[in-house]
Amino acid sequence: MAPVIVDGGKGSVELDDGGYVHLRWLPKVDIQVEDARAAMATVNEVCQDQPHPMLVDMASVASVSREARAIWSIPCSASRIALLGRSPVDRVLANFFLGVHIPPCPTRFFTSRDDALAWLTTGQAGPTA
Amino acid sequence: MSPDGETADPRLQELVEGIVRLAAGDLEARLVASENGDEIDAVITGVNLLAEELGHIHAELEERVAARTAMLRRTQVELELMAKTDALTGLANRHLLSERIRDAIAATSDAARVPAVLVLDLDSFKAINDTLGHSAGDAVLVEVSRRLLSVVRAEDTVARLGGDEFAVLIDGATEEETLAIAQRARDALQESVKIGSETVWTTASIGVCIQRAGYSPEDLIRDADIAMYQAKSEGRNKVRRFHPDMLDAVLERSRITSELRSAAAGGELALLYQPVVELATGRIAGVEALVRWHHPVHGTIMPDLFIGIAEETGLILELGRWVLQEGIAQLGRWKAEAPDLANFGLHVNLSAAELMRNDLVDDVRETLARHGVEPRRLVLEITETVLMSRGAGEEQILHRLRDLGVGLQIDDFGTGYSSISYLRSLPADTVKVDQSLIRNLESDPRQHKFVAAVLQLIAAAELNAIVEGIETEGQASRLQAMGCQYGQGYLYGRPVDAAQVLERLRGAVQPR
Repeated sequence: MAPVIVDGGKGSVELDDGGYVHLRWLPKVDIQVEDARAAMATVNEVCQDQPHPMLVDMASVASVSREARAIWSIPCSASRIALLGRSPVDRVLANFFLGVHIPPCPTRFFTSRDDALAWLTTGQAGPTA
Repeated sequence: MSPDGETADPRLQELVEGIVRLAAGDLEARLVASENGDEIDAVITGVNLLAEELGHIHAELEERVAARTAMLRRTQVELELMAKTDALTGLANRHLLSERIRDAIAATSDAARVPAVLVLDLDSFKAINDTLGHSAGDAVLVEVSRRLLSVVRAEDTVARLGGDEFAVLIDGATEEETLAIAQRARDALQESVKIGSETVWTTASIGVCIQRAGYSPEDLIRDADIAMYQAKSEGRNKVRRFHPDMLDAVLERSRITSELRSAAAGGELALLYQPVVELATGRIAGVEALVRWHHPVHGTIMPDLFIGIAEETGLILELGRWVLQEGIAQLGRWKAEAPDLANFGLHVNLSAAELMRNDLVDDVRETLARHGVEPRRLVLEITETVLMSRGAGEEQILHRLRDLGVGLQIDDFGTGYSSISYLRSLPADTVKVDQSLIRNLESDPRQHKFVAAVLQLIAAAELNAIVEGIETEGQASRLQAMGCQYGQGYLYGRPVDAAQVLERLRGAVQPR
């Protein structure tokens, strides 16, 4: 299926053939609470309220506001979440989310897409965040 | 430059500056990461995020402090209100009343309209508490508060000083207006109060003090209090305005109250006995027990000086209990010493409060049994006013006393407001005619006729008559001729102590 653009245009959501939902944030965006809320609504819509593992592509995101991080504490259709980044900055951002808020489902940070997908589909642990 | 001479990344310097600003308390300080996304940018991002968290925690803390401070302020206001109001009635307490009086005095500008204080004390409230319980007493106090609030003006303050004592600040009024408010309060309170199935009356004695130059709030309350005691001593349910002469009476009264509390325990009370004589034979049919207070300093004090105070303070219950115990015990001793005196009885006065005592009947029964005295030998004298205003509770106690075999006598007949028709329905065996009725018996033919009619009336109601205050042979013979069975008075002897009673019985039975 074609990616659905999140309201505000800072990201898109797609149900991948591999059975996972894929949220992609555009590089250098500042994610605010309304962006996070819109993204979650889109994820729920795409998943049609059925639980799916979710890959969040957050490489090169400029910033995520505190309120936006808090949104992901609310349970949604994601059954587990792999945060995929590249840089040390991504790692810091991801760990702030993981450390300050209690995610509603298993959530980990990865720098390797393969490891992330493996963890999402098999539940096997790859390299730690 | 770094210490080793290498060119340092300028972001590190910015990072140091940013941290310094944060450390100085500028929690809004943020650093801009480069697009490199390297470790230095990661540190910058981390510092930004930590600063954001710190700012949030700080704001949350400030919010909590503000909320707690507001709560403390509210609690303080509530506490202040509690400290100034009476929990039961919600009225002002003494503290707030004093404050309001102080404000009223300070605000007085018109000499014709000055503040005044009323102090109100409920008459016989203790008896309500003692007989119907404290919750009934509380209900009466709440009703009294409501009535007082209904008779004052919006600018006046009604306060409860404690117990059954209330006060009103009249915030600027003429003397006439003040006295009119006091009168309205008196009228409002004398209406009956319904407590469950019981009906009680709570009249109030009211003292009034109008502001004078130099008077403090405490002076005003004190003098209104003194005037209230004067109102009470003049027969209750009255309004009296303070006058300086009242101070002496108050001091005396306060002394008597405190000393009376320990008088019985201290052995200062004693009973004297006045003969009750069968007019036809001159036989002493019994004696009336009369209490005396042998004060260590002031000598013998007559009952009219302390019975009223005992009734107001509730000490009458203890006093009455003591008289009953002591009198019956003495009757038991006489019986043991003179077994031949089979028809010799003891008369004991019973107050209104005692008649409402739940344990009265048991107390009488047990005391009689303990001293081996037959119930028919005891006659309880109850004033006609008490009998006429008896409620369901007292009626039941009177019937239980009669069932026990104790005699009941209407006391002071002719001084109250007995209606003739009531005479037949009163639960009594004998009627004691007040001495005021026979004062001119020998000299005034009309009085003679009147007393004869009263005695006939008593006979028609199938009651025995006893006349008190007989002082002359002429009075005695006339009364006997009119069919009066019994008499009491100085003609037959003044009250004597227990030891002299048997001597009198064994000696001459003829009038002295």
